Amino acid sequence: MGPGGLVRLVGVLVLIFGLVNLAVAPLIGKAMFAHLWGIEPLTYFGATLAIIGLTVTSVSYLISDVIRNRRQQAEEDQHFAERWTQVTQQYFDLFNHDLGRPLRRILGKEREIREQMEAADTEIPVSVRELLDEIEEQTPSFRLMMSNIQVLIELETPNTGETIQAVEPGEVVRRIVDRYSLVAADANKQIVWWSEPTEFGIVQCDSSAVEHIVTNLVDNTVRYAESFVEIGLTRDEKNFYIRVWDDGPGIAARYLPYLFDRGWTPEVARREERTSSGLGLFIAHTLSKRYDGDLTVESVTSPDPDHHTSFTVTLPLCSAPAHTPGDTQA
Amino acid sequence: MPDSKILIIDDEWESAIVKAVQRRLEDEGWLTVIVKPQSQWMVGDEFESAAIYAIEDERPDGVLLDVRLGEHRDDQFKGLEILRQIVEHYPVLPVLMFTQYAQGPARDTAARGALRWNAPVDFIDKLASPEEVVLRLRRLMGSSPEIIPIGAHLQVDVGAETVSARRERDAGLEPVSDIHGMKFEIFRELAAAWYRSPGELVPFSRLERYSEGEEARASLRVRIREIKVSIGKALGVQLGANDLIVNVRDRGYRLAPPQV
Repeated sequence: MGPGGLVRLVGVLVLIFGLVNLAVAPLIGKAMFAHLWGIEPLTYFGATLAIIGLTVTSVSYLISDVIRNRRQQAEEDQHFAERWTQVTQQYFDLFNHDLGRPLRRILGKEREIREQMEAADTEIPVSVRELLDEIEEQTPSFRLMMSNIQVLIELETPNTGETIQAVEPGEVVRRIVDRYSLVAADANKQIVWWSEPTEFGIVQCDSSAVEHIVTNLVDNTVRYAESFVEIGLTRDEKNFYIRVWDDGPGIAARYLPYLFDRGWTPEVARREERTSSGLGLFIAHTLSKRYDGDLTVESVTSPDPDHHTSFTVTLPLCSAPAHTPGDTQA
Repeated sequence: MPDSKILIIDDEWESAIVKAVQRRLEDEGWLTVIVKPQSQWMVGDEFESAAIYAIEDERPDGVLLDVRLGEHRDDQFKGLEILRQIVEHYPVLPVLMFTQYAQGPARDTAARGALRWNAPVDFIDKLASPEEVVLRLRRLMGSSPEIIPIGAHLQVDVGAETVSARRERDAGLEPVSDIHGMKFEIFRELAAAWYRSPGELVPFSRLERYSEGEEARASLRVRIREIKVSIGKALGVQLGANDLIVNVRDRGYRLAPPQV
């Protein structure tokens, strides 16, 4: 029995006791209190108890009714939100698939042209090679943009389910390095990664979240690195850490407080044309916080010979979402 | 893993993107078989029966499987149904889902459904480069093959414990002398890490197991220099500090296939 039921039971018992008092008052009340008042006090006592009991019972019914209605409304709202999420995600899925189709064709043709030119054993003009490289280099950005839109839909929709599962962080980093190695190599940059211990093992986390966080960091660092990106994976008893380091020119201290703001890019501060959406670091930071972790940045700017930027993601070895989605809108 | 057989199940098998992947798989030394429905109707059910028949008939070592097989709404996730059947009947067969739905609800549905975390099933999106597809398949099918080819000029034979090299692209492979015992183990570690993931570096601590004496790091450095001299001689080139085995920011070494 809940607290509402208990209050109602007490109210009914008080009501019954009051009515019993009223019923017995004419029989025993006069004998007991004849010398005190004109009407025996047991009647007053019984009537008071009956009124109190009736009031408590009615109010408890009224309150439980209000609570039930509100709960029903909340369930309907949640159902609507879930349905909306489902419809939005399905719509996005189709949109993603259909938008991907022409891009797959362009990419396929680009790879075919490249192979044919290489097989023809003639020198490929530099301008043509640059054009083909440009198509290939833009592909990871497109893939990341699509997955970032998907994450934004999830982040801004209440009650999105999280999948905590066994995750191999080493494998997640490997995949991301696979994706960016070629692009980096074309730009004369190299990406290396290591883990300590070498057999890093598994953690309990949301695999997609870890992948989104690290992909956004690597995409960012590959863009700004001069020649080198290093990803290091370490752990202690409570947390695991992913450090993404690049030898780029660094980020000025005055920009650091805004780095994880939604839509912020260095171009915004300089009032120049934006070259990225400014969503990547916002998403990485929000997801890290959501899983009870953190994302920090440390940077040394050029002309210091040790110029670099280093992002460190901290996530618990056994994650649980710390915040409900929907409270993340910055 | 040369001569491994990969089954490709994709309704866009004639597209340039699938053909590029197929060519890259064949460059890797793998055989490819494309599943085509018997009838002219390109619908999911046709693909499903053709796929199951092909797995039974061809006994592939790995499968590249699309999620959307056909344009009909019912066929939007037909690949996941095929995946469920493969997981049920062939639980150790590696399957790489090659799809535009590499993230989001479709992947989550599959991951939460039939798949255990260690099932040999993975997702990669269709915009991935052919190299990325090959790397992912390599890891799904087993990360330590008996023979590890390193570019066009080098090869590590793990079973025979030999490193072989060729000077010219069309010439035969010749065993590299002087790479035995601990030097072979060091090179095998580096080659296996490179094969799994070209960006992966092997920390000093792991390689120092194959060193002797009190100065393990110095001993390792000497062995690495000797390996580079031996392989350089076999290739007819002089390998510098940033060739073949590279020291990365004093954390460890990684392999960089020689550009001969």
